[in-house]
Amino acid sequence: MIRLVAIAIALIPALPAAAQTRDAVPAGRLEVDAGGGWLGGASLGSDDANLRAATATPAPFRLFSVDTRLQSAPTFHVKAGFSFNPRFGVEGGLTYGHPELRASVSNDAESAPPIAVAERIDQYSFDASVIIMIRELAIGQRTRPFVSGGAGYLRELHEGQTVVEQGRVFHLGGGVKHWLMARDRRFISGAGIRMDARLYLMSGGIAFDDGPRPHGAVSGSVFVSF
Amino acid sequence: MKVALLVCVCVAILSQDAAAYLQFTTSAGGQTRVLKWQRTPVRWFAADRGAAGVPASDFQGAMARAFATWEAVPTASIAFQFAGFTGAQPFDDDGVSVLGFQDHPEMDRVLGATGFLIDTLTGEIVESDIFFNTAFLWSTAAQGDPNRFDLESVALHEIGHFSGLGHSAIGETEMRPDGTRRVLGSGAVMFPIAMGRGITQDRELQPDDVAGISDLYPAGEFRESTGVARGRITRNGTGLLGAHVVAFNPATGSLIASFTLNTDGEFELAGLRPGPHIIRVEPIDDAGVDSFFNRPSAIDVGFLVTFYDRLYVAPRGGAGERVTVAVRPR
Repeated sequence: MIRLVAIAIALIPALPAAAQTRDAVPAGRLEVDAGGGWLGGASLGSDDANLRAATATPAPFRLFSVDTRLQSAPTFHVKAGFSFNPRFGVEGGLTYGHPELRASVSNDAESAPPIAVAERIDQYSFDASVIIMIRELAIGQRTRPFVSGGAGYLRELHEGQTVVEQGRVFHLGGGVKHWLMARDRRFISGAGIRMDARLYLMSGGIAFDDGPRPHGAVSGSVFVSF
Repeated sequence: MKVALLVCVCVAILSQDAAAYLQFTTSAGGQTRVLKWQRTPVRWFAADRGAAGVPASDFQGAMARAFATWEAVPTASIAFQFAGFTGAQPFDDDGVSVLGFQDHPEMDRVLGATGFLIDTLTGEIVESDIFFNTAFLWSTAAQGDPNRFDLESVALHEIGHFSGLGHSAIGETEMRPDGTRRVLGSGAVMFPIAMGRGITQDRELQPDDVAGISDLYPAGEFRESTGVARGRITRNGTGLLGAHVVAFNPATGSLIASFTLNTDGEFELAGLRPGPHIIRVEPIDDAGVDSFFNRPSAIDVGFLVTFYDRLYVAPRGGAGERVTVAVRPR
């Protein structure tokens, strides 16, 4: 009994310090996340339907002009991640969208009126990210901002799903996670909501020029950690 | 073997002539056959007579380069072989394909012409001859000659006919006061009106030419790797014959075209790279209708340029959704 008390007393000085650094949020846990959001549109490039001009110079004769754009659209995602410690984690996931690919046709050589033509595409991105929780900016015990960055694979299917276009996706962003519930040593150790804002750079896929195209995106989701 | 001279003569011309569309056909026993060579390499002879400024050897060299350009299309299987010089003349109907100069001052708008001897039962081309009209001055200079027509460019067009291709209508022209047309722009070597003196740009095939020769003589996985667009063009609910249908691929900048070929207004465009295309329908108003069709009076040109109101996605092999375009009367 005396020994136990002595140990207890010895621990007391350490407890306040542990309480200050101990997270209310669980770490070393697997986390799954599902939600939805909005992916902003982006220009896919402009091109002219050109004819070979009947001159010695290479300047072409324009039959009509085309501006292409991927319209903004809602997205849905699922993710799975692992937090190594309260600051660092990794995650991977799938995001799906069904945006409209729109081509605006103008400047017809025979004065056809401008027209916009479109198709719907299926857009999948599989990506992996690093998450850095910014503990220093924590709001209370259960709300943490974070930054994230990663890369992935872009797969886009045209209408009818007969043609697949592939590309790459890079993203950088941040957000905030709020734990509605956090408890240790349970099968479900935590649950909460999460908001993300990201800047995507997509290259390849359905594109009519070579450069990467920026898309802004916001999303919200619920997560559960095990 | 039943052999007949196909009278149609296809030309690269200053004005108009000919009777054809993307591929030549013949009808026998109720069946339509596409005209094509069935045995390759196709042997050809060069006439041993030159023209002003173009000796026979230079003529043969220009022809050989033009044949090689068609032969180099990776998705087409046709091959040619130079068999030698000959004293025979084009259009001798001797079973030998001869290319050479001829003097036809009465054809003051015809730079050159191609004729065929065919098996009317099978559509096999047995002989094809080309003449280049010495009523015009010709050049084989590498950079062209501003006062002469480029022989290799016109030969490339004629050898397209020699191979079985008709005219393409991808081009824009304007009418001159004398009733002839001036080319503003051309999207195919097989456009029926020549570009003009000194211009050598038509020594290179364009996507429409490549699609045409590949559709006629497909090689490798051409059919599996490219898509087809099929559909119908109507005016007031009725099928439109002779509408020019052009598919533009914004990813490649290529233009590939065909026509509606029956009174139901149906068309088929082959050789499209998989992916989205913009489809534009226009009347034949940049060259004589008889450059494309035997019965020009049956062709409706009284409508406005109209775009298909959706992006057409060409699949990888086969056809995608059926395209329907209702054009507006002019």
